[in-house]
Amino acid sequence: MLWFAALFSCVGALAQTVADWPSYGGTPNAWRYSSLDQVNSANVTQLVAAWAFQTGISDGGFQTTPIVVDGVMYISTSWNRVFAVDAETGRELWHYFYPAPREIGMGSSPWNRGVAVAGGRVFMGTVDNHVVALDQKTGRELWNVNVEDFRQCGCNITGAPLVVNGKVITGVTGGDSAHRGYLTAFDARTGRRLWRFWTIPAPGEPGHETWEGDSWKFGGGSTWMTGSYDADLNAVYWGVGNPAADFYGDQRRGDNLYTDSIIALDPDTGNLKWHYQEIPHDVWDFDAAYECVLLDLPVRGQMRKVLLNVNKGGYAFVVDRVTGGFISGWPVARNLTWISGLDDYGRLLGRNEPEVGKSKLICPSIGGGRSWNQGTFSPRTGWFYTTGIEWCQDVTARKEEGKEGKDFFGGIFRLKAPPDGNPGGHLDAYDPITGKKFWTYESKYPLLASVLATGGDVIFTGDPEGRFFALNARTGERLWDFQTGSGNRGSPITYSVKGRQYVATPSGWGSAVAGILPQLWPETETFNGGSTLYVFALPKPPGASGSTAK
Amino acid sequence: MILFVLLFAQSAVDPAVVGAGERIFAQNCSVGYCHGAAGSAGRGPRLRGRAFEESYLLRVTRDGIPRSAMPAWKGRLSDREILAVVKYVASLSDATPEAAGTAPAAETIATAAAPAPPDQVQRGAALFFDATREAYCGACHALNGRGVAVGPDLTMVARKTPREIAAAMGNRRPEHVVTAHMKDGDSFPAIAVLRGSGSVKLLDLTTFPPVLRTFEPAEIESIATRAEWSHDSFLKGIGPEQMADLASYIRWIASGDSRSVSGDDLK
Repeated sequence: MLWFAALFSCVGALAQTVADWPSYGGTPNAWRYSSLDQVNSANVTQLVAAWAFQTGISDGGFQTTPIVVDGVMYISTSWNRVFAVDAETGRELWHYFYPAPREIGMGSSPWNRGVAVAGGRVFMGTVDNHVVALDQKTGRELWNVNVEDFRQCGCNITGAPLVVNGKVITGVTGGDSAHRGYLTAFDARTGRRLWRFWTIPAPGEPGHETWEGDSWKFGGGSTWMTGSYDADLNAVYWGVGNPAADFYGDQRRGDNLYTDSIIALDPDTGNLKWHYQEIPHDVWDFDAAYECVLLDLPVRGQMRKVLLNVNKGGYAFVVDRVTGGFISGWPVARNLTWISGLDDYGRLLGRNEPEVGKSKLICPSIGGGRSWNQGTFSPRTGWFYTTGIEWCQDVTARKEEGKEGKDFFGGIFRLKAPPDGNPGGHLDAYDPITGKKFWTYESKYPLLASVLATGGDVIFTGDPEGRFFALNARTGERLWDFQTGSGNRGSPITYSVKGRQYVATPSGWGSAVAGILPQLWPETETFNGGSTLYVFALPKPPGASGSTAK
Repeated sequence: MILFVLLFAQSAVDPAVVGAGERIFAQNCSVGYCHGAAGSAGRGPRLRGRAFEESYLLRVTRDGIPRSAMPAWKGRLSDREILAVVKYVASLSDATPEAAGTAPAAETIATAAAPAPPDQVQRGAALFFDATREAYCGACHALNGRGVAVGPDLTMVARKTPREIAAAMGNRRPEHVVTAHMKDGDSFPAIAVLRGSGSVKLLDLTTFPPVLRTFEPAEIESIATRAEWSHDSFLKGIGPEQMADLASYIRWIASGDSRSVSGDDLK
């Protein structure tokens, strides 16, 4: 009965069907769920291509989350090109090509994971660590701020900004170089900096004592994905990445706050409300930087406002998002040997750390028990759907000193198959609180595209071989697929224009993790790149009755 | 040029050079998501089992590949180290063409070691580029190729005396700062980057870091020269000794003058 009430309240919060996909996670709670149900598990087999959009930029993979507002789609690509496209016809309305500097260093990854649209403007972080604001109607640049010199910091911005109350909040990469991470908020109108939250406390601030000597200056703590927002609690939640050096921690003894933590900030001031550290003193590069999914669910009979975060170590952590208190933790992959498990308080048991000068087999690999591609929550099933990866690595730590802005890994790795069987990937349906698994969809290769759930009980995602496919949300049964011609490494969405529901997905193989796959699967080296946005719909919109689209 | 000569001078495979290259490669090129252990691929391409011409390897290792993740290693590695890496990568492929040549390997590659700057200059440099400060000089000023040239490039300013440098830092009406008055009532200190008949680009100095803003002429009421603006907020917590350190660094960069600067020199 309580469960039913919880479902009801979830659905109640989303009772109003939204035709758009207005923000990175679909909604500020990062569910990647749309209540659109014109396409459903019974008719998804009839999906046909409505249009495609070729961006012409295939470097580094097509990793974007398209944004749709009022029938216009906003797409970003590698090297920070932005296209505004009529979401019904695929016709380009305008484009903006960012003048990326010609010299690009090691820390600069060319890919981009999406823009934010708010208040008549389009916001994007750039390959050289700028943030730009464009006119939503014309693509004209309105402001451009250099957050920090990328030549000095070895950092940039690949994640989509989050806009809250007229503030553009952006993270930064740099967790694998000698850099000190932060989140910065800019005034959406003027670009003026409003606040900065350093993910590593300075001398005199609480938490600074968790760093040894000067290690805090180059301690990583990047914020390379996109956070979530709870308007009722007026809190922004963001996941923080690994401490640097990745595999060598002897020069930074201590817990290393706020790396591998979830931070809750007041969006108006940037002040910390609470933090929860999933991995104290990480020596595996297991960022807690991925999406923060905000759910209101019963926990042992009591309704709680919770936050679910899957980290790179392959564990889902569920915490109370009012207090930051631990609720539960559960694995999303089978081969996890870096710890033996979690205790009842969420503390790590049986740490299995890399050693200096000695090769050691540890699972998962640096690519993660899951990659950054996001999971999804469906209020209709009450389940959380996420990918998981089975793979390991031989890792050797190495003593290393940080040099500002330079690579700071502290070791090397080589991918290995898991000892208990074949490497591969899977997509699973879980109870978000207990981690109870309801079904599994197995994949030959790691699944590196985000997952989408819809009101029609369909789960969409794609695979490295280029297939974009649909599963039944309740059974995991494969219902439909389409060969897009290049591996899927972006984030599919759904939206509606003039009563017709569309499903869109980026197709274009690439990325850091795609780059290391040939170590285990040599044939993936020749997988073709690409950068095409595919859009699907049912052949004809059905009659008005039964359609919730508007 | 000399590197190319050395490349072919060393073209006979010397196990010691290849061994050194292997070590350097493991520490610099295998790391993270780059070329993978022993060139087995990562974000960067696989290097094992591939035929590369050594002159190509040398060029891309030394100069990098523009618009890619491959950096230029000149300046990060010595010429000798770069050569060793090239030899090692070449050794990863049996198909690498053997270049003819029997000239003896060069003994040394002359790279004159620059004398270390005085301690005060080093302190000044660290402060100039101290990213742990909320605002730091290098975020707005370029100096000798480093830093971001938002404000004036200081390489010229550096020819001034320490007293003149300090005076420039304390100037409350710098000649290049204007006040932009907008029709919506907003006004702010700015540097005019582009003023023509079309769009106007202004660097808004209200907050740090400055914001490059683009306006249509119709949005602008007026632009007044000689705005009131100062470095005060950026120099918070910088005492006379640190000011002297900064001045010594700025002067040293331009003139090589390594004499120490005292607080009195600034007055």
